[in-house]
Amino acid sequence: MRQLANWFRRKKLDSGLDRELRYHLERRIVDLQRSGLSRAEARRQAAMELGSIAQIQEEVRDIWLTRWMRDFTYDLRFSMRSFLRTPAFTITAVLSLMLGIGATTAIYSLVDQILLHALPVRQPDRLVLIDWKGDQVANGFGSWNLMSYPICRDLDQQKQFFEGVFCRALTTVNLSTGGDYHAATAEVISGNYFSVLGVGPALGQVLTNDNDRRPNANPVAILSYDFWKAQLGGAADVVGRKVLVNRHPLTIIGVAAAAFHGIDVGEVPSLWIPASMSTEVIPGFSNLQDRRTRWMQVLGRLNQTITLREAQAGLQPWFKAMLKEDVRRAGFPVITAERRQRFLNSSLVLTPAPQGHSTLRRRLVEPLWVLFAVTAVLLGLACLNVSGLFLARGSARDREIGTRLALGASRGRLGRQLLADSLLIAFAGGALGIAAAPIAVQALIASLPGDNAATALHAGVDSRLLLFAFLASVTAGVLSGLAPAWQSGRRSLISSLRERGGTAFGGLRLRKVIVTAQIALTLTLVVSAALFVRTLDALLAKGPGFPTASLVSFGIDCQRSGYSEEEGNRLVRRIDKAIGYSPVVQASAVARFPLLTGGSWNNPMTIRADKRFSTDRDVNLNAVTPGFFSTMGIKIMAGRNFDKRDIGPPGERDARSAIVNEAFVNRYLRGRNPLGVRICQGSGPDATPNTEIVGVVSNFSYRGIREESEQAYFPFKGQGAATFYVRVHGRAESSFQSLRAIVRGVNPVLTMTNLRTLDEQVDRSLNTEHILATLSGGFGMLALLLSLVGLYGVMSFVVTQRTREIGIRLALGARRWSTIWLVLRDALAMIFSGVAIGLPFAWTLGRLVQSQLYDVKASDPVAIAIAIMILCSTAGAAALIPAHRASGVNPTEALRFE
Amino acid sequence: MLILQIASLEPIHGYGMAQRLQQVSQSVVQVNHGSLYPALHRLEQKKWLKSEWKQSETGREAKFYSLTASGRKQLAAEKVDWERLAGAVQLIFNEGGRS
Repeated sequence: MRQLANWFRRKKLDSGLDRELRYHLERRIVDLQRSGLSRAEARRQAAMELGSIAQIQEEVRDIWLTRWMRDFTYDLRFSMRSFLRTPAFTITAVLSLMLGIGATTAIYSLVDQILLHALPVRQPDRLVLIDWKGDQVANGFGSWNLMSYPICRDLDQQKQFFEGVFCRALTTVNLSTGGDYHAATAEVISGNYFSVLGVGPALGQVLTNDNDRRPNANPVAILSYDFWKAQLGGAADVVGRKVLVNRHPLTIIGVAAAAFHGIDVGEVPSLWIPASMSTEVIPGFSNLQDRRTRWMQVLGRLNQTITLREAQAGLQPWFKAMLKEDVRRAGFPVITAERRQRFLNSSLVLTPAPQGHSTLRRRLVEPLWVLFAVTAVLLGLACLNVSGLFLARGSARDREIGTRLALGASRGRLGRQLLADSLLIAFAGGALGIAAAPIAVQALIASLPGDNAATALHAGVDSRLLLFAFLASVTAGVLSGLAPAWQSGRRSLISSLRERGGTAFGGLRLRKVIVTAQIALTLTLVVSAALFVRTLDALLAKGPGFPTASLVSFGIDCQRSGYSEEEGNRLVRRIDKAIGYSPVVQASAVARFPLLTGGSWNNPMTIRADKRFSTDRDVNLNAVTPGFFSTMGIKIMAGRNFDKRDIGPPGERDARSAIVNEAFVNRYLRGRNPLGVRICQGSGPDATPNTEIVGVVSNFSYRGIREESEQAYFPFKGQGAATFYVRVHGRAESSFQSLRAIVRGVNPVLTMTNLRTLDEQVDRSLNTEHILATLSGGFGMLALLLSLVGLYGVMSFVVTQRTREIGIRLALGARRWSTIWLVLRDALAMIFSGVAIGLPFAWTLGRLVQSQLYDVKASDPVAIAIAIMILCSTAGAAALIPAHRASGVNPTEALRFE
Repeated sequence: MLILQIASLEPIHGYGMAQRLQQVSQSVVQVNHGSLYPALHRLEQKKWLKSEWKQSETGREAKFYSLTASGRKQLAAEKVDWERLAGAVQLIFNEGGRS
């Protein structure tokens, strides 16, 4: 380490030593003069005593830097000079590695931020996610790993396992800091959230358990640091001010620490609100104390002395007792004995959660690792390419190296020189790569799913990323230097001196091996790209099941704007009517929940046909107005549409009638007339099927385009929130202005959310597939380019080497095509063996990404055939150019060389 | 050890060190001036010596070496070692003298 520091101040050390020695010399001269010598004599005597100054300097420098490092410094300097002499080689090599390192670093940036980065809290490695495995016998909303608030409170009491257990749920609120209302992300949390995480305030105080004791009694909020800075200009007097959340005033009691952005990397909350205020924050919600409402994620901090496994095992007795107690509790739903057993067999599962909990992570964990693997392969390809270039250069430098060997350079020393070469190239490539990575990351973030992901992730280069790029560069440098160094070690001194420049066969076999490996790797990437492109194609071809052209949708949530459910329903009806009168509108309809967002209203159902039975999985549900199916262009296959008959009087609990889709009929009512069958939500014995199926519609996508689910539709009665679907005249985008004007005309306070064309909505729902197809396609092209360059290089080399042979053959009467074949045969051997080696890899990779594919198998013959065709034709073309040149060899000229 | 011993008395520059070595050992130990500097720098690298640039007795700037705490420890350890070795040699000689 000291030596490394010395390396950076070697100039200063040198001049210091110089002064020191000069001082010694002059003092000695003066002393010798005093003892009677002449000045010239004294000078001679002193110099003799001291010996060679240059030798002392060398010796001392060795002490400073160690021998190895000094040599390496010289090597680097030498490499630098020789690179500057061959700019074409240098640029190609550096660019290859820049692509490899830049792409890997860019993807790693996302992998690090989304998948690996631990929360900026106290000891994140002690955090665990607590989840219920089994049947909770509960209703709920939200996504993944949900439990109820009272269970979290019970878990918090288990102090022998946990320092504390907190719970949280994300929600969107209408927030006003004085002016207009805006949609903002809020995290509803238990009071101990901040203390268990170990996050403090930047200003004021954080929430404590005291803020979360009595329901509706704690109208307070904590702002996030970024929200405070951006929206309130970092006002110092913000503590004590009030904000309006869904029209309820909350007092700001503090601002959270600057680095803390909540526990979900994809959703950054603007504010934190105690769970005791959940009724105000989530309209229509009053089940905070209900043990059978699951809506919050529960996380805990393990005690210092306990392991996760011990805690999980230790919790079960307590948990089983709690389950038994739950069953006896008043208000526990009436369920079948079998389901009760499932409930009682439930267990708690603890998983490490140093990165918190994130829906975005769940969605991207596989695609990101796939892309990371792809970029790693790309980096490997770039290394191979540089290896090949070095080998080519190595054979050009044969005589130089031979001479150095003859002058007594050790083989190790020469190998080190080659390593210095490749490291230098790698670091140049790495530096350029890391300069380019942020631009790529920025583009990637912009294309990620999730509305809030863009704000949560950053494209900057931090120390972790720098470290990664550094390691990648070192690895790339060593890898690409390995083959040339090995090759130079095998070279025999005599032969390399005896041979004349240009005829050396240096490393040709190794270069062929490298090109074959490149082709194998490229095939893997091209096949996976073909698989992803075909997946996207298949999904786009399938479409949502209705024509999306000139279709627009937007959402309105009246309750979040502070209206009661009744007022909200009136507003929705008025907007619906106003839109119907607009000249730009062809048709319009209202649905309770939006399509193609990944979410849905779902429940198991009970069906009474010949006999009574429950569905074996959740049915996706929605409530729609009569115009819905015709507006969307969805065919009614049997029965009738909704009409006035289906709307019961307000307050009637069950819907009178329902329309189901064909998938529902196929799964549950196959072979009988579905019309007239009665169904209802829920699967318990208390479920009473008295909603009549009046129609069947064709299948179309609800959650996303991939899924084909059973669906059931009820008449829209309104619950204060609605999604409008409008088919307009002309281009969809041009109607945005008039739609906004219509809603503002009805009520200026209402905020429209997600005003989009359906085409855009489809794109958004396919966004992971888009990313995978585009990026793997792009990386596949780069890989192809790299290996074509490699192949072309080797073939040109072969042709140059065999010019004489080809000349003789031509002179002896060989035909041109036979010389082409002579050269091409070599290339084809490489291409085909590369393909043969690559196929099993491609197949394995395809199997690994199977879950990301749609309507395509990993062994899809079309994708593989396309990949092989692209590879062979381009590679063949790259080999054909030098082969053609070989056929143009003039026999007399080729022979005159001799 | 000799260098450390000399440097332990007072901060001293390279030339002075060479003179002193010759003086104290009454010219028995002949240190080549040339090999003195690598030795000094090695000891400095090991952090047994520290150095600073100061005015010398002739008014010129010179690099003065002095002992560090770890150098002092090293010196003490080497002295003990040396005494053990010297003692052992003495014992062997004494033994030889008796027989």
